Amino acid sequence: MKRNRPAAVIMEKFKSIQSAIFAAASILILGAVAVVTIVSMSFTRNTIFENSSLYTQTIIQQMNQNIDSYIDYMENIAYLVSSNEDVQSYLFDDTADAQARERILGQFVTILESRGDILNLGIIGTNGRMLINNGSESVNPDLDLDTQKWYTDALNSNSSVSLTSSHVQHIISGERPWVITLSRGIRNPSDGGAKEGVFFIDLNYNAISALCDENITGNQGYAFILDQEGNIVYHPQQQQLYNELQTENIDLIMEADSDTVLTGNGNSGKLYSISRSEKTGWTVVDCVSVKELLKKSNQAQSIYALTSVALVIVALFFSSFISGSITLPIQRLRDSMARVQEGDFDGPDVEVDSENEIGSLTRSFNMMTHRIHELMEQNVRDQEEKRKSELKALQSQINPHFLYNTLDSIIWMAEGKKNEEVVLMTASLARLLRQSISNEDEVVPIAQEIEYARGYLTIQKMRYKDKMEFQIDVDPSILHINLIKLVLQPIIENAIYHGLKYKESKGLLQVKGYMKDGNAVLQVIDNGVGMDADTLAHIYDKHKVNYQSNGVGVYNVQKRLQLYYGSDYGIVYESEKGKGTTATITIPGIQEGASEKI
Amino acid sequence: MKKYKKWIIAGSLAVLAAALCAGLYVRKVQRENKSYSLIYIPKVVDGTNDFWTSLILGTEMAAKEYRADIEIMAPEDENDVEGQNRFLEAAIEKKPDAILFSPSSFTESDSLLKTAKEKGIHIVFVDSYTDQDVQDITVATDNLEAGELLGKFAAGILNPEDQIAIVAHVKGVSTAIEREEGFRKGLGDLAENIVDVVYCDSQFDKSYALTMELMEKYPNLKMIAGMNEYSSVGAARAVKAAGAEKRIQVVGVDSSQEAVQLMEHGVFKGIVVQKAFKMGYVGVRETMRMLRGEDYEKNVNSGCELVTPENMYSGEIEKLLFPFNTLKTTNPEQ
Repeated sequence: MKRNRPAAVIMEKFKSIQSAIFAAASILILGAVAVVTIVSMSFTRNTIFENSSLYTQTIIQQMNQNIDSYIDYMENIAYLVSSNEDVQSYLFDDTADAQARERILGQFVTILESRGDILNLGIIGTNGRMLINNGSESVNPDLDLDTQKWYTDALNSNSSVSLTSSHVQHIISGERPWVITLSRGIRNPSDGGAKEGVFFIDLNYNAISALCDENITGNQGYAFILDQEGNIVYHPQQQQLYNELQTENIDLIMEADSDTVLTGNGNSGKLYSISRSEKTGWTVVDCVSVKELLKKSNQAQSIYALTSVALVIVALFFSSFISGSITLPIQRLRDSMARVQEGDFDGPDVEVDSENEIGSLTRSFNMMTHRIHELMEQNVRDQEEKRKSELKALQSQINPHFLYNTLDSIIWMAEGKKNEEVVLMTASLARLLRQSISNEDEVVPIAQEIEYARGYLTIQKMRYKDKMEFQIDVDPSILHINLIKLVLQPIIENAIYHGLKYKESKGLLQVKGYMKDGNAVLQVIDNGVGMDADTLAHIYDKHKVNYQSNGVGVYNVQKRLQLYYGSDYGIVYESEKGKGTTATITIPGIQEGASEKI
Repeated sequence: MKKYKKWIIAGSLAVLAAALCAGLYVRKVQRENKSYSLIYIPKVVDGTNDFWTSLILGTEMAAKEYRADIEIMAPEDENDVEGQNRFLEAAIEKKPDAILFSPSSFTESDSLLKTAKEKGIHIVFVDSYTDQDVQDITVATDNLEAGELLGKFAAGILNPEDQIAIVAHVKGVSTAIEREEGFRKGLGDLAENIVDVVYCDSQFDKSYALTMELMEKYPNLKMIAGMNEYSSVGAARAVKAAGAEKRIQVVGVDSSQEAVQLMEHGVFKGIVVQKAFKMGYVGVRETMRMLRGEDYEKNVNSGCELVTPENMYSGEIEKLLFPFNTLKTTNPEQ
């Protein structure tokens, strides 16, 4: 048993070469496209992720620097104000001139007017003196300043400047805004430089939110700021956060060692990029939801996916086309072979499209088919020849006994000096022989066949003078119709030897001819002894010995008629014992062509 | 040809599946992007009332975040039940997707709410509710809890014999009933010391006048408890005006700038603050989740906190007391 190679096993699964090629090509293409797509997808995802974090990192570092320089700017204002002699003298010197207050207020108003991001600024002495904004605001009388971190920090901390987180400023009555306060202690020069006053600036969120929001566009994220303790300094949704309606994973950010922290899992996660400022101690955080971050990568991935789907579709069409075009000649060859197998050689040659193996195979097949077709035609012709020669052989078998008997009759008549009869009989015999021997035509007009029958009947009548009479009654319209030779005579001979010969009285033999239903009909009617049903049933049998063992009998005639005209035609016998027999020969009334009909 | 049929079937199945996925996705996106219309009917629109201002701010911020249109319709007086019902009627006429409603009356709006329900409008109770269960969602402070918190605090600063008077806001309103009940519970045995309960109909002036009467009527009164902003601030004003802040301790529910000022001044000893912003925000958020067919909570307790002079400057309390309204999303007028 043959060992099956794996490839062969696989090929067996497919009913056609086309589907095998198609499947192979499809699998290859699908595999290749899938690998490329997956690789580029994951590559894109990583790249976009990395680029995004890198980009955000750059942005928030920039943001942090901007915030630092913003705070720097405010510190400068604080420095300028707190080192101002007018300020010091206003706060600590009881003898300060009234002009100093006006100058300070003028400076404050200038700063307030030029900076939209400063809500309040002012100086407060521990002795209760204070100047805030333009000096006309009423100060919250119930506020204990020692509860305010920005105030105590400025006085007590070692650093020159204190910065609060977001808090509520209570100092001005009737207003409780959320601000970020920068405060600086003011030293009293006359008291050994001890901090006895505080300068403060309340920053609203205009500048900080602008700094945080400006670079975020296009990143779909947002930035927020935390102080050292993790309290929110600024967040675009500060109110929601304050009301526990939003959360940020602040603990994670505060504990993070790296620049980026990923929280949550999958698409619901957030990517925090962190930048800490040495100066303010604040942490600037950029937050992008992973979903947003991957939107770009998802877009790229969907493009990849769509492209690969399109590629696969095109490739499938292409491979189906290729496999089709490879196997089409094979299929045509197969179909043509199937036709030839059925015996149909008449179809056109299989087209040869190419010079490859299949082309030469096709050409060989075409040649083979032609050869077979020729051989078969040759065979048919040979058969035809054979049939014709058989026909001829049959036709040429004239009964020799009849010849002897006739010649005997002539001899007897000559001996009896019956000259006239001798002449008549000899002439009839001569005509008979001529017709019988002239073999050049297969068929003769009915007229000629009738003449032949007449000659034969004349001879027979002379031989059986007392025994028979004959009548020939043929419609002239059928005389020109061709009939194969030697049909009528054997039938008449049969009628005489089997019918009339055994009749005790004189018999009558009639030959009739007419058209019936488009057919020519010839009838040989005798009123002889007739046949019983049994004899009649065997009258066409080949082995049936007819007249004195000669071969030309009813079988012979019938076979020739049917060979020539087809099985619809031929000879039919009717007979009744003691009454006579009628043989009816039917042939087509109109014969196309001449003798070529097979 | 059989092979091709297989491929064609597989191909059309794939196309069908893709189309189905796309359709579902589009439907989801459409649902998320569909703009819903909401109407909120608070008890009052009053710029001087920080509770309602914060609550409305919360609804507006959430509506903005969830891309819903919200319209605020309310009377100018908190106990104007008829006025509120007229607004409710008008709101039903507009056929919004949902009406958020803070009923001023426990019973009077029920038939209108049923009409709205029949018209397929969702009903969300915010802050208060009615005696009928017509709502889809309720977002409110647990007023029993708020009252109890205040009661326990009050019990801690009172002597066993001290007399207590309650200035409530509107008689029969769910919030008033429950806060009083909770307050009594929190007081424990001291609840027996409650000498009087008066109703100010949510008017500062009436609360002021009633408190004056109470102080006159009960000279040994040691505590006055207000059950909402109008009642407690009115009472505190009266106590301050009478110079009685050393003798009479005022506690109350709901804060305002004035209440904070009064606490700084030493009149208020304790205030239970509702999370008004959260209440409004969560009301809209849960409504939107319901409309979008997402998971939502049917009953939300928005919570409350006790504010005392000691903790009032802490970050956690500041966040509650003072709306962070410097944001761009907020209307600077408020």
